[in-house]
Amino acid sequence: MTDELTDKLAIDFCGLRFSSPVVLLSGCVGFGEEYTRVAGFSNRDVGAICLKGTTGAPRLGNPPHRVYETPAGMLNAIGLQNPGVDRVVDEILPTLDFDETRFIANVSGSTLEEYEAVTRRFNDSPIDAIEINISCPNVKEGGVAFGNDPDMSARVVETCRAVTDKPLITKLSPNQTDIAENARRCIEAGSDAFAVINTLMGMAIDIDNRTPVIGNNQGGLSGPAIKPIALLKVHQVAQVCRAHAIPIIGQGGVTTPEDAIEFLIAGASAVGVGTALFYDPLICRRINQGILDYLDQHGLNSVAQLTDTLVLNGATAC
Amino acid sequence: MTTAKPHRGTIHLEDAEILTHEAHPGGQYILRVHSPECAHRAAPGSFAHLTCDPLLPMRRPLSIMRTDPEAGWVEFLYKVVGEGTRLLSRRQTGESISVMGPIGQPFRPRPERPRPLLLGGGVGIPPMVFLADALRREPACKPLVMMGSEVPFPFTSRPSQILVPGIPDGVIAAMPLLEDWSVPSRLCSRQDFPGCYQGYITDLARDWLSALNTQHLQEVEIFACGPHPMLEAVAKLARDYDLPCQVSLEEFMACAVGGCAGCTVQVETDQGPAMKRVCVDGPVFDARAVFP
Ligand SMILES: Cc1cc2nc3c(=O)[nH]c(=O)nc-3n(C[C@H](O)[C@H](O)[C@H](O)COP(=O)(O)OP(=O)(O)OC[C@H]3O[C@@H](n4cnc5c(N)ncnc54)[C@H](O)[C@@H]3O)c2cc1C
Ligand SMILES: Cc1cc2nc3c(=O)[nH]c(=O)nc-3n(C[C@H](O)[C@H](O)[C@H](O)COP(=O)(O)O)c2cc1C
Ligand code: FES
Repeated sequence: MTDELTDKLAIDFCGLRFSSPVVLLSGCVGFGEEYTRVAGFSNRDVGAICLKGTTGAPRLGNPPHRVYETPAGMLNAIGLQNPGVDRVVDEILPTLDFDETRFIANVSGSTLEEYEAVTRRFNDSPIDAIEINISCPNVKEGGVAFGNDPDMSARVVETCRAVTDKPLITKLSPNQTDIAENARRCIEAGSDAFAVINTLMGMAIDIDNRTPVIGNNQGGLSGPAIKPIALLKVHQVAQVCRAHAIPIIGQGGVTTPEDAIEFLIAGASAVGVGTALFYDPLICRRINQGILDYLDQHGLNSVAQLTDTLVLNGATAC
Repeated sequence: MTTAKPHRGTIHLEDAEILTHEAHPGGQYILRVHSPECAHRAAPGSFAHLTCDPLLPMRRPLSIMRTDPEAGWVEFLYKVVGEGTRLLSRRQTGESISVMGPIGQPFRPRPERPRPLLLGGGVGIPPMVFLADALRREPACKPLVMMGSEVPFPFTSRPSQILVPGIPDGVIAAMPLLEDWSVPSRLCSRQDFPGCYQGYITDLARDWLSALNTQHLQEVEIFACGPHPMLEAVAKLARDYDLPCQVSLEEFMACAVGGCAGCTVQVETDQGPAMKRVCVDGPVFDARAVFP
């Protein structure tokens, strides 16, 4: 991969130019600088970086253990540890280099008022876009409790929409009955884009102590284990988005270029990478190269030409 | 607009060839890999994040025990406790694993305390060996190392030729490598291992500290790595003698570069409780911040 990504990989995302469809996911890369510790890693290799979930007041997060490996994935229950929106905007954003990539805020809250206040604060900042996290499974209030109820989801989106003109991305939970219906309601409420999916709720048990391994008892499952579920959810949400030209950041277990290509075909315009970074911090370069090779091999000139090109089989059962 | 970013590019990813991989009793292994960047930059207390097997989605953190920057190797000592370390133990000489390191804030010995006491329990031994190697090169520094293990030590101990006042009679077993470096060491276990102190490492440390005169006592600083209860006991010991103490902590990790906040521990700061990441804010912390 050359240092400068080729135009072929670039996408338009809600009017923003992403130099690559690869997006680093919230909660996996801190506030945008952490992975630059790794020699050879560059923020320029990705189209955008979603910052850690941010709330109104600072949060200390959950007790240990917060992460645990599971078959083909991991559980996490960080509990939205963050310094609060004021410090993020006043102290962290000024240290980021917005020439390198796009930075997306990830907003969380326990109440509608908190979502509103945090979004308003980010609206008045250099951040490129705002992702509303209504799907965090690791906090007692808000988060997934909002995201699993289409009425509440729509109210959160509406509330945030009223206070920002930046691109608004709603991050949907897979832990709900009808994700497509939820997406439809969020579009009506003013969502510009979707992130699909957040983690699935899960548990691991220490059989010696008969206690959950995770301090929070339950956690969010991510990594390759959730990829088939994520692909189906992207496909389902894409049905609703198509008519409105609403883009999706597909995510959940992306580990190889082929995974990323699957998500694009299923309907995603961009592809998120989180857990896979923990094994291979330089994976985004390989994914970029793999997508580029695929485009070349298939005579495609842009990533957009690949998005939402799934050809369903004729079978109608289920 | 942006200021210089000194953290950038400090952790290296290397495909590291396994040079030697020795099995020791108690499921312990000493692994030496060719990892020149890591060898060059590591400091006592640093660790690396290793791939044990492509089948596993996560890496595993291991402390660095020794390095040879010229030859470009890094050595680890680990114990098999679960699937990751079990798969790692099967990797053969000549195979390659991915080593990401060095990571973390190292021990920072105070030069005004030239009698460091290094306490390593179980797989907390490796960083103490690394620290001893660094301290022995400091003129006028007189480190003493105590190691505890409930399984046989991953080396054949030998009777120490270096007299240490305050150590009970008969407690003579030492680590040969440290003897060769002229660094005194003593071994402890609750098992009945010959020449070892039979009991807790903190009890042996207390014996030694009690025998020091006031001036020498003020020259002591304690460094420790080992199981949590041991570190808690070490922190108490340091408080009892009013000594500075640095401890190296373990917590489950995902990224090991500060990105996921998965490895945090609560510490006391002047501003109240704060969450610190073991991977990049630690693994070495002031004992008083961790055990207030
Ligand atoms: C900074 C640091 C330095 C370490 N240095 C050494 C060392 O030098 N020698 C050594 O033998 N061990 C060391 N450990 C502990 C070692 O990382 C664990 O024993 C190892 O991760 C266990 O993996 P497993 O798959 O065999 O065990 P399992 O219990 O099956 O692991 C399951 C999951 O829990 C995590 N986990 C379990 N125990 C620990 C633990 N104690 N610390 C961190 N994660 C854990 C694993 O990483 C894995 O994700 C260190 C840990 C840390 C954080
Ligand atoms: C350690 C960790 C922390 C996370 N924190 C957040 C968060 O703060 N906000 C959020 O919207 N999603 C969070 N997520 C979810 C991810 O952004 C992503 O949606 C999910 O992990 C699926 O992608 P993956 O399988 O590639 O990791 C977190 C995931 C992990 C593993
Ligand atoms: S392991 Fe991710 S922050 Fe330490």
